[in-house]
Amino acid sequence: MRDLPYRWIEAIQDRRDYIEDQLRLGSPVVGLPYENGSLLLTVTKGAQKIFEVHDRIALSAIGHPADIEQLRMLVTDTASVQAFQSATEDVNLHRLTHYVLAHTFKQAFEAIVGEAYIIKMLLVEIGDGDAKTQFTHINYDGNVNIHDDSAVIGGTTEIENAMQDYLITEQSDTGCDLATTIQLALKTWAVGRELSQRFEEAEDNIEVTDEQIDEILKTELEEGEIEIGILDNTLPADTKFRILSQDEIQGLTN
Amino acid sequence: MKHKGDFLNLLRHADTLMDDAEVARETFEVDIERKQNLIGAAPKPISDALQFPSHGKPTPGTTLEIPEATTVVAMRYQNGIIIAGDRRATAGTSIVHDRAEKVLPIDAHSVLAISGAPAMAYEIARVLKHSFQYFRRSQLQELSVEGKLRTLSRLIRDNLPMAMQGIGAVIPIFALYAPQTDEAENGGKIYFYDALGAHFENVDFATTGSGSIWIRGVLRYLDRWGDTRLEDMDQRQATITILRLLDTASEYDAATSGYNAKAEIFPTVKTITHEGVENLTEVYLKECYLEAT
Repeated sequence: MRDLPYRWIEAIQDRRDYIEDQLRLGSPVVGLPYENGSLLLTVTKGAQKIFEVHDRIALSAIGHPADIEQLRMLVTDTASVQAFQSATEDVNLHRLTHYVLAHTFKQAFEAIVGEAYIIKMLLVEIGDGDAKTQFTHINYDGNVNIHDDSAVIGGTTEIENAMQDYLITEQSDTGCDLATTIQLALKTWAVGRELSQRFEEAEDNIEVTDEQIDEILKTELEEGEIEIGILDNTLPADTKFRILSQDEIQGLTN
Repeated sequence: MKHKGDFLNLLRHADTLMDDAEVARETFEVDIERKQNLIGAAPKPISDALQFPSHGKPTPGTTLEIPEATTVVAMRYQNGIIIAGDRRATAGTSIVHDRAEKVLPIDAHSVLAISGAPAMAYEIARVLKHSFQYFRRSQLQELSVEGKLRTLSRLIRDNLPMAMQGIGAVIPIFALYAPQTDEAENGGKIYFYDALGAHFENVDFATTGSGSIWIRGVLRYLDRWGDTRLEDMDQRQATITILRLLDTASEYDAATSGYNAKAEIFPTVKTITHEGVENLTEVYLKECYLEAT
Protein backbone atom coordinates (compact mmCIF):
# COMPACT_ATOMS: atom_id res chain seq x y z
CA MET A 1 0.00 0.00 0.00
CA ARG A 2 2.97 2.28 0.65
CA ASP A 3 3.83 2.28 -3.07
CA LEU A 4 0.41 3.80 -3.78
CA PRO A 5 0.60 7.21 -2.08
CA TYR A 6 -3.01 8.17 -2.55
CA ARG A 7 -4.24 4.94 -1.00
CA TRP A 8 -1.83 5.44 1.91
CA ILE A 9 -3.18 8.92 2.59
CA GLU A 10 -6.69 7.57 2.33
CA ALA A 11 -5.86 4.78 4.73
CA ILE A 12 -4.38 7.26 7.22
CA GLN A 13 -7.52 9.39 6.98
CA ASP A 14 -9.70 6.32 7.56
CA ARG A 15 -7.61 5.47 10.57
CA ARG A 16 -7.91 9.03 11.89
CA ASP A 17 -11.71 8.93 11.51
CA TYR A 18 -11.89 5.56 13.23
CA ILE A 19 -9.77 6.64 16.21
CA GLU A 20 -11.60 9.94 16.66
CA ASP A 21 -14.90 8.12 16.55
CA GLN A 22 -13.65 5.79 19.30
CA LEU A 23 -12.38 8.68 21.43
CA ARG A 24 -15.44 10.91 21.04
CA LEU A 25 -17.29 9.74 24.16
CA GLY A 26 -14.24 9.57 26.40
CA SER A 27 -14.52 11.27 29.78
CA PRO A 28 -12.44 14.49 29.52
CA VAL A 29 -9.51 15.29 31.78
CA VAL A 30 -8.61 18.74 33.09
CA GLY A 31 -5.14 19.76 34.26
CA LEU A 32 -4.75 22.98 36.29
CA PRO A 33 -2.14 24.56 38.55
CA TYR A 34 -3.05 25.54 42.11
CA GLU A 35 -1.17 27.26 44.93
CA ASN A 36 0.88 24.20 45.98
CA GLY A 37 1.33 22.44 42.63
CA SER A 38 -0.96 21.01 39.97
CA LEU A 39 -3.95 18.74 39.71
CA LEU A 40 -5.51 16.39 37.18
CA LEU A 41 -9.26 15.83 37.42
CA THR A 42 -11.74 13.57 35.67
CA VAL A 43 -14.90 11.62 36.43
CA THR A 44 -14.74 7.84 36.16
CA LYS A 45 -17.01 4.88 36.50
CA GLY A 46 -14.58 2.47 38.10
CA ALA A 47 -11.18 2.18 36.49
CA GLN A 48 -8.44 4.52 37.71
CA LYS A 49 -7.47 7.12 35.09
CA ILE A 50 -4.91 9.31 36.84
CA PHE A 51 -1.49 7.82 37.52
CA GLU A 52 1.86 8.60 39.12
CA VAL A 53 4.73 8.35 36.64
CA HIS A 54 7.58 9.67 38.72
CA ASP A 55 8.32 11.91 41.70
CA ARG A 56 7.05 15.08 40.00
CA ILE A 57 5.21 13.70 36.96
CA ALA A 58 1.63 12.47 36.63
CA LEU A 59 -0.38 11.13 33.71
CA SER A 60 -3.96 10.75 32.58
CA ALA A 61 -5.47 9.60 29.31
CA ILE A 62 -8.64 8.85 27.43
CA GLY A 63 -8.95 5.95 25.03
CA HIS A 64 -8.86 2.18 25.05
CA PRO A 65 -7.96 0.86 28.54
CA ALA A 66 -5.46 -1.68 27.13
CA ASP A 67 -3.63 1.03 25.17
CA ILE A 68 -3.60 3.37 28.18
CA GLU A 69 -2.14 0.61 30.32
CA GLN A 70 0.51 -0.33 27.77
CA LEU A 71 1.71 3.24 27.29
CA ARG A 72 1.46 4.08 30.98
CA MET A 73 3.78 1.16 31.69
CA LEU A 74 6.15 2.21 28.90
CA VAL A 75 6.61 5.68 30.35
CA THR A 76 6.69 4.48 33.98
CA ASP A 77 9.28 1.79 33.20
CA THR A 78 11.45 4.22 31.27
CA ALA A 79 11.33 6.84 34.02
CA SER A 80 12.10 4.24 36.70
CA VAL A 81 15.08 2.80 34.83
CA GLN A 82 16.50 6.23 34.00
CA ALA A 83 16.14 7.40 37.60
CA PHE A 84 17.99 4.33 38.81
CA GLN A 85 20.71 4.48 36.19
CA SER A 86 21.51 8.13 36.73
CA ALA A 87 19.42 10.20 39.15
CA THR A 88 15.84 11.18 39.79
CA GLU A 89 16.68 14.75 38.76
CA ASP A 90 17.54 13.48 35.26
CA VAL A 91 14.01 12.26 34.66
CA ASN A 92 11.91 15.00 33.12
CA LEU A 93 8.74 15.34 31.12
CA HIS A 94 10.47 16.79 28.08
CA ARG A 95 12.67 13.74 27.60
CA LEU A 96 9.86 11.27 28.30
CA THR A 97 7.57 13.03 25.83
CA HIS A 98 9.93 13.58 22.94
CA TYR A 99 12.20 10.54 23.18
CA VAL A 100 9.73 7.90 24.38
CA LEU A 101 6.06 8.66 23.88
CA ALA A 102 5.67 10.91 20.82
CA HIS A 103 7.49 8.71 18.36
CA THR A 104 5.82 5.58 19.76
CA PHE A 105 2.42 7.15 19.11
CA LYS A 106 3.44 8.31 15.64
CA GLN A 107 4.95 5.02 14.55
CA ALA A 108 1.88 3.06 15.62
CA PHE A 109 -0.44 5.55 13.94
CA GLU A 110 1.35 5.58 10.59
CA ALA A 111 2.09 1.86 10.42
CA ILE A 112 -1.24 1.25 8.75
CA VAL A 113 -0.92 -2.51 8.66
CA GLY A 114 -0.53 -2.58 12.44
CA GLU A 115 -2.69 -1.48 15.32
CA ALA A 116 -2.86 2.19 16.20
CA TYR A 117 -3.18 3.35 19.78
CA ILE A 118 -6.61 4.68 20.59
CA ILE A 119 -5.46 7.26 23.06
CA LYS A 120 -4.96 10.90 23.96
CA MET A 121 -2.64 11.57 26.86
CA LEU A 122 -2.17 14.45 29.26
CA LEU A 123 0.96 14.63 31.41
CA VAL A 124 1.96 17.21 33.99
CA GLU A 125 5.27 17.95 35.65
CA ILE A 126 5.49 20.37 38.56
CA GLY A 127 8.40 22.73 38.71
CA ASP A 128 11.18 22.61 41.24
CA GLY A 129 13.15 25.77 41.86
CA ASP A 130 13.58 27.57 38.54
CA ALA A 131 11.83 24.88 36.50
CA LYS A 132 8.29 25.76 35.46
CA THR A 133 5.19 23.62 35.73
CA GLN A 134 4.36 22.13 32.37
CA PHE A 135 1.34 20.37 30.89
CA THR A 136 1.89 18.17 27.85
CA HIS A 137 -0.87 16.98 25.56
CA ILE A 138 -0.02 14.08 23.23
CA ASN A 139 -2.41 13.21 20.44
CA TYR A 140 -2.86 9.67 19.09
CA ASP A 141 -0.81 10.62 16.00
CA GLY A 142 2.18 11.74 18.09
CA ASN A 143 1.53 15.47 17.92
CA VAL A 144 2.67 17.21 21.10
CA ASN A 145 1.32 20.45 22.56
CA ILE A 146 2.92 22.02 25.59
CA HIS A 147 1.06 24.41 27.88
CA ASP A 148 2.19 26.41 30.89
CA ASP A 149 -1.14 27.43 32.42
CA SER A 150 -3.55 24.57 31.93
CA ALA A 151 -4.43 21.74 29.56
CA VAL A 152 -7.36 19.49 28.74
CA ILE A 153 -8.06 16.33 26.81
CA GLY A 154 -11.47 15.62 25.36
CA GLY A 155 -13.03 13.42 22.74
CA THR A 156 -12.42 15.80 19.82
CA THR A 157 -10.39 18.91 19.07
CA GLU A 158 -13.61 20.98 19.08
CA ILE A 159 -14.46 19.76 22.58
CA GLU A 160 -10.96 20.58 23.78
CA ASN A 161 -11.14 24.07 22.25
CA ALA A 162 -14.47 24.73 23.95
CA MET A 163 -13.08 23.56 27.29
CA GLN A 164 -10.01 25.77 26.87
CA ASP A 165 -12.23 28.75 25.98
CA TYR A 166 -14.25 28.14 29.15
CA LEU A 167 -11.02 28.02 31.18
CA ILE A 168 -9.76 31.27 29.65
CA THR A 169 -13.04 32.98 30.58
CA GLU A 170 -13.26 31.59 34.11
CA GLN A 171 -9.64 31.16 35.19
CA SER A 172 -8.87 34.31 37.20
CA ASP A 173 -5.66 33.40 38.94
CA THR A 174 -3.25 30.49 38.64
CA GLY A 175 -2.47 30.58 42.35
CA CYS A 176 -5.90 29.61 43.69
CA ASP A 177 -6.38 27.23 46.57
CA LEU A 178 -7.14 23.57 45.95
CA ALA A 179 -10.90 23.76 46.56
CA THR A 180 -11.41 26.70 44.15
CA THR A 181 -9.27 25.03 41.50
CA ILE A 182 -11.21 21.78 41.82
CA GLN A 183 -14.49 23.67 41.30
CA LEU A 184 -13.15 25.24 38.11
CA ALA A 185 -11.74 21.93 36.87
CA LEU A 186 -15.02 20.16 37.55
CA LYS A 187 -17.05 22.77 35.63
CA THR A 188 -14.59 22.60 32.74
CA TRP A 189 -14.93 18.83 32.76
CA ALA A 190 -18.73 19.25 32.61
CA VAL A 191 -18.40 21.51 29.53
CA GLY A 192 -16.44 18.78 27.76
CA ARG A 193 -18.82 16.06 28.85
CA GLU A 194 -21.89 17.98 27.73
CA LEU A 195 -20.37 18.64 24.29
CA SER A 196 -19.28 15.04 23.79
CA GLN A 197 -22.86 13.92 24.39
CA ARG A 198 -24.48 16.43 22.07
CA PHE A 199 -21.96 16.26 19.26
CA GLU A 200 -24.01 13.92 17.16
CA GLU A 201 -26.78 16.49 17.00
CA ALA A 202 -25.09 19.77 16.06
CA GLU A 203 -21.36 20.06 15.68
CA ASP A 204 -21.39 23.86 15.64
CA ASN A 205 -23.40 24.22 18.86
CA ILE A 206 -20.70 24.69 21.49
CA GLU A 207 -22.45 26.98 23.94
CA VAL A 208 -22.86 25.46 27.40
CA THR A 209 -24.80 27.37 30.04
CA ASP A 210 -24.25 27.26 33.82
CA GLU A 211 -27.58 25.42 34.17
CA GLN A 212 -26.41 22.76 31.74
CA ILE A 213 -23.13 22.42 33.67
CA ASP A 214 -25.02 21.90 36.94
CA GLU A 215 -27.38 19.45 35.28
CA ILE A 216 -24.69 17.32 33.70
CA LEU A 217 -22.67 17.23 36.92
CA LYS A 218 -25.74 16.10 38.83
CA THR A 219 -26.47 13.35 36.30
CA GLU A 220 -22.91 12.13 35.84
CA LEU A 221 -22.02 12.07 39.53
CA GLU A 222 -24.95 9.76 40.26
CA GLU A 223 -23.05 6.91 38.61
CA GLY A 224 -19.50 8.22 38.37
CA GLU A 225 -16.92 9.39 40.90
CA ILE A 226 -14.64 12.41 40.77
CA GLU A 227 -11.02 11.33 40.54
CA ILE A 228 -8.28 13.81 41.41
CA GLY A 229 -4.54 13.34 41.42
CA ILE A 230 -2.36 16.14 42.79
CA LEU A 231 1.32 16.94 42.57
CA ASP A 232 1.89 18.83 45.80
CA ASN A 233 5.20 20.63 46.27
CA THR A 234 4.62 20.86 50.01
CA LEU A 235 4.69 17.09 50.55
CA PRO A 236 7.83 16.26 52.55
CA ALA A 237 8.65 13.03 50.67
CA ASP A 238 10.49 12.95 47.32
CA THR A 239 7.28 11.78 45.69
CA LYS A 240 4.92 14.70 45.30
CA PHE A 241 2.00 12.76 43.79
CA ARG A 242 -1.02 11.48 45.60
CA ILE A 243 -4.58 10.55 44.74
CA LEU A 244 -7.16 12.36 46.84
CA SER A 245 -9.48 10.07 48.77
CA GLN A 246 -13.23 10.27 48.19
CA ASP A 247 -13.62 11.75 51.69
CA GLU A 248 -11.15 14.51 50.86
CA ILE A 249 -12.89 15.21 47.55
CA GLN A 250 -16.26 15.41 49.29
CA GLY A 251 -14.83 17.88 51.78
CA LEU A 252 -13.32 20.02 49.04
CA THR A 253 -16.34 20.06 46.71
CA ASN A 254 -19.15 20.66 49.23
CA MET B 1 2.66 -5.34 33.21
CA LYS B 2 5.17 -7.94 32.13
CA HIS B 3 7.48 -7.20 35.06
CA LYS B 4 4.59 -7.37 37.54
CA GLY B 5 6.07 -4.64 39.66
CA ASP B 6 9.46 -6.37 40.03
CA PHE B 7 12.06 -3.66 39.65
CA LEU B 8 15.04 -6.02 39.37
CA ASN B 9 13.27 -7.89 36.60
CA LEU B 10 12.61 -4.59 34.83
CA LEU B 11 16.28 -3.64 35.01
CA ARG B 12 17.31 -7.05 33.72
CA HIS B 13 15.05 -6.67 30.70
CA ALA B 14 16.22 -3.10 30.16
CA ASP B 15 19.73 -4.52 29.73
CA THR B 16 20.88 -2.27 32.51
CA LEU B 17 20.93 -4.49 35.52
CA MET B 18 24.12 -4.13 37.37
CA ASP B 19 24.82 -7.84 37.44
CA ASP B 20 27.43 -7.49 40.14
CA ALA B 21 25.74 -10.06 42.28
CA GLU B 22 25.51 -12.61 39.49
CA VAL B 23 29.07 -12.00 38.36
CA ALA B 24 30.26 -12.31 41.92
CA ARG B 25 28.32 -15.53 42.40
CA GLU B 26 29.87 -17.02 39.27
CA THR B 27 33.34 -15.88 40.38
CA PHE B 28 32.73 -17.46 43.74
CA GLU B 29 31.65 -20.77 42.22
CA VAL B 30 34.67 -20.83 39.87
CA ASP B 31 36.93 -19.98 42.79
CA ILE B 32 35.52 -22.82 44.89
CA GLU B 33 35.90 -25.25 41.98
CA ARG B 34 39.49 -24.15 41.41
CA LYS B 35 40.35 -24.62 45.07
CA GLN B 36 38.65 -28.01 45.07
CA ASN B 37 40.77 -29.10 42.12
CA LEU B 38 43.91 -27.91 43.84
CA ILE B 39 43.38 -29.59 47.17
CA GLY B 40 41.05 -32.36 46.08
CA ALA B 41 38.55 -31.58 48.80
CA ALA B 42 34.85 -31.07 48.56
CA PRO B 43 33.78 -27.40 48.88
CA LYS B 44 32.29 -26.51 52.18
CA PRO B 45 28.55 -26.03 51.77
CA ILE B 46 27.49 -22.45 52.32
CA SER B 47 24.82 -23.48 54.79
CA ASP B 48 27.51 -25.10 56.95
CA ALA B 49 29.92 -22.28 56.64
CA LEU B 50 27.74 -19.31 57.50
CA GLN B 51 26.85 -18.42 61.01
CA PHE B 52 25.35 -15.40 62.63
CA PRO B 53 27.80 -12.52 62.92
CA SER B 54 30.14 -13.20 65.77
CA HIS B 55 31.05 -9.61 66.47
CA GLY B 56 34.42 -9.00 65.02
CA LYS B 57 35.67 -12.55 64.63
CA PRO B 58 35.52 -14.16 61.18
CA THR B 59 33.68 -17.48 61.29
CA PRO B 60 36.17 -20.31 60.77
CA GLY B 61 36.07 -21.88 57.33
CA THR B 62 34.88 -18.76 55.50
CA THR B 63 36.22 -15.47 54.34
CA LEU B 64 33.05 -13.73 55.53
CA GLU B 65 33.84 -10.25 56.74
CA ILE B 66 31.79 -9.35 59.75
CA PRO B 67 30.62 -5.73 59.95
CA GLU B 68 32.93 -3.99 62.31
CA ALA B 69 32.45 -0.31 62.16
CA THR B 70 29.06 0.93 63.26
CA THR B 71 26.42 1.10 65.90
CA VAL B 72 22.84 1.35 64.73
CA VAL B 73 19.94 0.87 67.09
CA ALA B 74 16.15 0.87 66.78
CA MET B 75 13.52 0.65 69.48
CA ARG B 76 9.78 0.94 69.80
CA TYR B 77 8.48 3.91 71.75
CA GLN B 78 5.05 5.37 72.43
CA ASN B 79 4.36 6.68 68.90
CA GLY B 80 6.20 4.12 66.79
CA ILE B 81 9.89 3.50 66.19
CA ILE B 82 12.96 5.57 66.97
CA ILE B 83 16.06 4.57 65.02
CA ALA B 84 19.57 5.99 65.21
CA GLY B 85 23.10 5.48 63.99
CA ASP B 86 26.52 6.94 64.66
CA ARG B 87 28.32 8.84 61.88
CA ARG B 88 31.76 7.21 61.75
CA ALA B 89 33.14 5.29 58.76
CA THR B 90 36.40 3.40 59.26
CA ALA B 91 38.87 1.46 57.16
CA GLY B 92 41.04 -0.71 59.37
CA THR B 93 42.23 1.51 62.16
CA SER B 94 41.69 4.74 60.24
CA ILE B 95 38.69 7.01 60.57
CA VAL B 96 37.84 7.96 57.00
CA HIS B 97 34.64 9.92 57.46
CA ASP B 98 32.79 11.39 60.42
CA ARG B 99 29.56 12.38 58.73
CA ALA B 100 28.37 9.09 57.25
CA GLU B 101 24.62 8.56 57.02
CA LYS B 102 23.72 5.07 58.20
CA VAL B 103 19.99 5.56 58.77
CA LEU B 104 18.43 5.82 55.34
CA PRO B 105 14.77 6.58 54.60
CA ILE B 106 13.40 4.10 52.05
CA ASP B 107 9.83 5.29 51.67
CA ALA B 108 7.27 7.32 53.59
CA HIS B 109 7.02 4.72 56.37
CA SER B 110 10.23 2.69 56.32
CA VAL B 111 13.89 3.12 57.15
CA LEU B 112 16.99 1.00 56.66
CA ALA B 113 19.81 1.28 59.21
CA ILE B 114 22.98 -0.19 57.76
CA SER B 115 26.05 -1.85 59.15
CA GLY B 116 28.72 -3.40 57.01
CA ALA B 117 30.40 -2.41 53.78
CA PRO B 118 29.03 1.04 52.83
CA ALA B 119 29.22 0.48 49.06
CA MET B 120 27.02 -2.61 49.24
CA ALA B 121 24.77 -1.15 51.92
CA TYR B 122 24.08 2.07 50.04
CA GLU B 123 23.40 0.16 46.83
CA ILE B 124 21.00 -2.19 48.62
CA ALA B 125 19.20 0.84 50.10
CA ARG B 126 19.00 2.48 46.67
CA VAL B 127 17.65 -0.64 44.95
CA LEU B 128 15.17 -1.10 47.78
CA LYS B 129 13.91 2.46 47.47
CA HIS B 130 13.46 2.20 43.71
CA SER B 131 11.82 -1.24 44.07
CA PHE B 132 9.16 0.03 46.48
CA GLN B 133 8.50 3.07 44.29
CA TYR B 134 8.29 1.01 41.12
CA PHE B 135 5.86 -1.46 42.68
CA ARG B 136 3.57 1.38 43.80
CA ARG B 137 3.72 3.18 40.46
CA SER B 138 3.24 0.14 38.27
CA GLN B 139 0.82 -1.92 40.37
CA LEU B 140 -1.13 1.06 41.76
CA GLN B 141 -0.83 -0.11 45.34
CA GLU B 142 1.77 -0.07 48.11
CA LEU B 143 3.93 -3.15 48.49
CA SER B 144 2.83 -5.14 51.56
CA VAL B 145 5.01 -5.34 54.67
CA GLU B 146 5.83 -8.97 53.84
CA GLY B 147 6.65 -8.00 50.27
CA LYS B 148 9.06 -5.31 51.50
CA LEU B 149 10.76 -7.76 53.85
CA ARG B 150 11.23 -10.33 51.10
CA THR B 151 12.60 -7.77 48.66
CA LEU B 152 15.29 -6.86 51.20
CA SER B 153 15.95 -10.57 51.92
CA ARG B 154 16.55 -11.14 48.24
CA LEU B 155 19.00 -8.24 47.97
CA ILE B 156 20.98 -9.40 51.00
CA ARG B 157 21.04 -12.98 49.69
CA ASP B 158 22.23 -11.73 46.29
CA ASN B 159 25.07 -9.98 48.09
CA LEU B 160 26.19 -13.22 49.73
CA PRO B 161 28.96 -14.02 47.23
CA MET B 162 30.45 -10.59 47.82
CA ALA B 163 30.24 -11.17 51.56
CA MET B 164 31.87 -14.62 51.17
CA GLN B 165 34.73 -13.13 49.22
CA GLY B 166 35.35 -10.62 51.96
CA ILE B 167 34.34 -7.73 49.74
CA GLY B 168 31.52 -6.71 52.00
CA ALA B 169 28.74 -8.14 54.13
CA VAL B 170 25.68 -6.06 54.97
CA ILE B 171 23.67 -6.66 58.16
CA PRO B 172 20.88 -4.08 58.34
CA ILE B 173 18.00 -3.28 60.62
CA PHE B 174 14.79 -2.59 58.74
CA ALA B 175 12.16 -0.63 60.61
CA LEU B 176 8.75 0.44 59.40
CA TYR B 177 5.36 1.58 60.51
CA ALA B 178 2.39 -0.30 59.08
CA PRO B 179 0.12 2.71 58.34
CA GLN B 180 -3.02 0.61 58.06
CA THR B 181 -2.67 -0.26 61.75
CA ASP B 182 -5.44 0.92 64.06
CA GLU B 183 -4.36 4.30 65.42
CA ALA B 184 -4.82 3.06 68.99
CA GLU B 185 -2.08 0.46 68.40
CA ASN B 186 1.61 0.92 67.79
CA GLY B 187 2.21 -0.09 64.16
CA GLY B 188 6.00 0.12 64.50
CA LYS B 189 7.92 -3.00 63.51
CA ILE B 190 11.63 -3.76 63.72
CA TYR B 191 13.33 -6.50 61.70
CA PHE B 192 16.84 -7.83 62.00
CA TYR B 193 18.55 -9.62 59.11
CA ASP B 194 21.37 -12.12 58.94
CA ALA B 195 23.93 -12.27 56.13
CA LEU B 196 21.87 -14.91 54.26
CA GLY B 197 18.81 -12.69 54.13
CA ALA B 198 16.69 -14.33 56.83
CA HIS B 199 14.64 -11.79 58.74
CA PHE B 200 13.45 -11.88 62.32
CA GLU B 201 11.08 -9.50 63.98
CA ASN B 202 12.48 -7.96 67.14
CA VAL B 203 9.51 -6.89 69.14
CA ASP B 204 11.01 -4.13 71.27
CA PHE B 205 14.50 -3.28 70.03
CA ALA B 206 17.36 -4.29 67.75
CA THR B 207 20.94 -3.22 67.39
CA THR B 208 23.75 -4.21 65.06
CA GLY B 209 27.32 -3.27 64.22
CA SER B 210 30.48 -3.59 66.23
CA GLY B 211 29.27 -1.38 69.06
CA SER B 212 26.03 -3.30 69.46
CA ILE B 213 27.47 -5.82 71.92
CA TRP B 214 28.00 -3.04 74.44
CA ILE B 215 24.42 -1.88 74.43
CA ARG B 216 22.26 -4.92 73.71
CA GLY B 217 22.30 -5.90 77.37
CA VAL B 218 21.56 -2.34 78.42
CA LEU B 219 18.52 -2.29 76.14
CA ARG B 220 17.28 -5.50 77.64
CA TYR B 221 17.83 -4.15 81.17
CA LEU B 222 16.02 -0.91 80.45
CA ASP B 223 13.13 -2.65 78.77
CA ARG B 224 12.69 -5.11 81.62
CA TRP B 225 13.61 -3.18 84.73
CA GLY B 226 13.86 0.47 83.72
CA ASP B 227 11.59 3.06 85.36
CA THR B 228 9.72 3.37 82.05
CA ARG B 229 9.54 0.51 79.56
CA LEU B 230 10.94 1.43 76.14
CA GLU B 231 7.53 1.15 74.52
CA ASP B 232 6.01 3.52 77.07
CA MET B 233 8.57 6.29 76.55
CA ASP B 234 7.56 9.53 74.86
CA GLN B 235 9.68 10.94 72.04
CA ARG B 236 11.96 13.00 74.28
CA GLN B 237 12.61 10.14 76.70
CA ALA B 238 13.26 7.78 73.79
CA THR B 239 15.62 10.26 72.12
CA ILE B 240 17.61 10.79 75.32
CA THR B 241 17.82 7.03 75.87
CA ILE B 242 19.00 6.31 72.33
CA LEU B 243 21.63 9.09 72.51
CA ARG B 244 22.92 7.68 75.81
CA LEU B 245 23.08 4.20 74.25
CA LEU B 246 25.15 5.47 71.29
CA ASP B 247 27.37 7.37 73.70
CA THR B 248 27.93 4.15 75.67
CA ALA B 249 28.78 2.24 72.49
CA SER B 250 31.25 4.92 71.43
CA GLU B 251 32.95 4.70 74.82
CA TYR B 252 33.92 1.07 74.27
CA ASP B 253 33.98 0.69 70.48
CA ALA B 254 36.60 2.67 68.59
CA ALA B 255 34.67 2.33 65.35
CA THR B 256 31.59 4.09 66.76
CA SER B 257 31.56 7.86 67.09
CA GLY B 258 29.84 9.79 69.83
CA TYR B 259 28.57 13.35 69.78
CA ASN B 260 31.34 15.56 68.46
CA ALA B 261 30.82 18.78 70.43
CA LYS B 262 33.67 20.62 68.73
CA ALA B 263 32.40 20.06 65.19
CA GLU B 264 28.75 19.72 66.27
CA ILE B 265 28.30 16.37 64.58
CA PHE B 266 25.30 14.52 65.92
CA PRO B 267 24.18 10.95 65.37
CA THR B 268 21.38 10.49 62.83
CA VAL B 269 18.10 9.96 64.66
CA LYS B 270 14.76 9.38 62.93
CA THR B 271 11.28 8.50 64.10
CA ILE B 272 8.76 6.43 62.17
CA THR B 273 5.17 7.02 63.19
CA HIS B 274 1.72 6.87 61.66
CA GLU B 275 2.50 10.24 60.02
CA GLY B 276 5.66 8.90 58.40
CA VAL B 277 9.43 9.19 58.72
CA GLU B 278 10.76 12.28 60.51
CA ASN B 279 14.38 13.33 60.85
CA LEU B 280 15.03 14.78 64.30
CA THR B 281 16.75 18.14 63.91
CA GLU B 282 20.19 18.99 65.24
CA VAL B 283 18.66 21.72 67.41
CA TYR B 284 16.39 19.17 69.05
CA LEU B 285 19.23 16.66 69.44
CA LYS B 286 21.42 19.32 71.04
CA GLU B 287 18.70 20.04 73.60
CA CYS B 288 18.36 16.34 74.32
CA TYR B 289 22.12 15.96 74.65
CA LEU B 290 22.23 18.69 77.28
CA GLU B 291 19.60 16.76 79.18
CA ALA B 292 21.21 13.39 78.55
CA THR B 293 24.68 14.17 79.84
